[in-house]
Amino acid sequence: MIEIRDLSKWYGDLQVLDNINEEIKQGQTVVVCGPSGSGKSTLLRCINGLEPFQEGEVIVDGVSVSDPSTNLYKLRTEIGMVFQRFELYAHMTALQNITLAPMKVRKKSKKEAEAKAMELLRRVGIPEKAHEYPANLSGGQQQRVAIARSLAMEPKIMMFDEPTSALDPEMIKEVLDVMIDLSKGGMTMIVVTHEMGFAREVADEIIFMDEGRIIERGTDISFFKNPKNPRTKNFLDKILL
Amino acid sequence: MIKNIFFLLGGYWITVKLTLFALAGGISLGILVGLGRISKKKWVYYPVTFYVNLIRNIPLILVIFWFYFVMPIIVGRPLDPFPSAVISFIIFEATYFGEILRAGFQSVSKGQIEAGYSTGLTYIQTTRYILIPIAIRRMLPSMITQSIVTYQDTCLAFVIGLHEFVRRTTIVDNIEVRSIQLFGFVAILFLITCYISSVVSRRFEVKRERGY
Repeated sequence: MIEIRDLSKWYGDLQVLDNINEEIKQGQTVVVCGPSGSGKSTLLRCINGLEPFQEGEVIVDGVSVSDPSTNLYKLRTEIGMVFQRFELYAHMTALQNITLAPMKVRKKSKKEAEAKAMELLRRVGIPEKAHEYPANLSGGQQQRVAIARSLAMEPKIMMFDEPTSALDPEMIKEVLDVMIDLSKGGMTMIVVTHEMGFAREVADEIIFMDEGRIIERGTDISFFKNPKNPRTKNFLDKILL
Repeated sequence: MIKNIFFLLGGYWITVKLTLFALAGGISLGILVGLGRISKKKWVYYPVTFYVNLIRNIPLILVIFWFYFVMPIIVGRPLDPFPSAVISFIIFEATYFGEILRAGFQSVSKGQIEAGYSTGLTYIQTTRYILIPIAIRRMLPSMITQSIVTYQDTCLAFVIGLHEFVRRTTIVDNIEVRSIQLFGFVAILFLITCYISSVVSRRFEVKRERGY
């Protein structure tokens, strides 16, 4: 589903991604962790073409992201993205946030888009908030609306960029539960998170990044029990407590 | 007397029309100017910035004059005062609305725009459905203030012989010689209409504090 080959990226002289190789198969959930500034978010943003890169190749569902002939707008409809700070459109209700892209990009009728949006809001557990503006929703509710907004495009892949980092502890679970459901439902997912409980439960692979490189990878158990790299061990000690 | 009132109100209608055209054009062009001012493309940013800095450092009355006297040389025939005034006002006001909207555009988080892109919206769709509506809502109080200023500034169009409200009042005054009553009438009409607008503006500000 996603193939990343020898991906490198620089901001000026600063190398932020260093020779990343990764393959994600359909239905897999891959968790990416690592200290801040290690290139996790940048990696996600290279996958949906929000950021250009200088070397290597990213192939999503058979389409090369960096190929100039690729229609990035079309590609992005296949890749949902959920942000750390939710980023709901402030002037629209939850329902309008969700229906905007299906109506404007997929040219669905208002009625059809709203029916789908209500179904998604039920799925994330807040159908009663359909007509609320983001300012009137809690962080956890906003993030669930944001997930519904991405799902409304019926993407093949969902990317999450630290989706619970900006949330109060009591709201983290409600968002993680939605993500766990999605993962178990067969969605292909890349999740940047430090929620190791989540990683344990659903991750098919865990990647540890540092200074733009993948320095450790493993399926769940091996990763936690015996990290090979001292950096990983140090980091895991901090987040697992 | 009755004739004079109709003459004056006719002038007021010209003032209103000039204001409406100036605002419609000024805000539309202002949106483009604001977008140009946040553009990363140098060939867009620099010309737009030059235009904004040029016009904002010239008094409005000179823009009106300059346009009225330079255009005939370019076009080859004199322009009527009204279209000439409308175009000068649009050129002038667009720079002010443009700067107000630039601030509005910059207040919209980059993340909201990226969220739009991530669902497959194009640049034009993201700008049209997310960037512009949020910026206009946030900047509405400043935009209404600028609109009131535009409305008052329309009087300056008398310099190119446009028979707007104040100009016509001067004409009537030359015959009737009742300056205090006549200009008092003009002042009161401006006062009332501007006051109503500022009350409306304040209500939008209250709404904004409630938060969206």
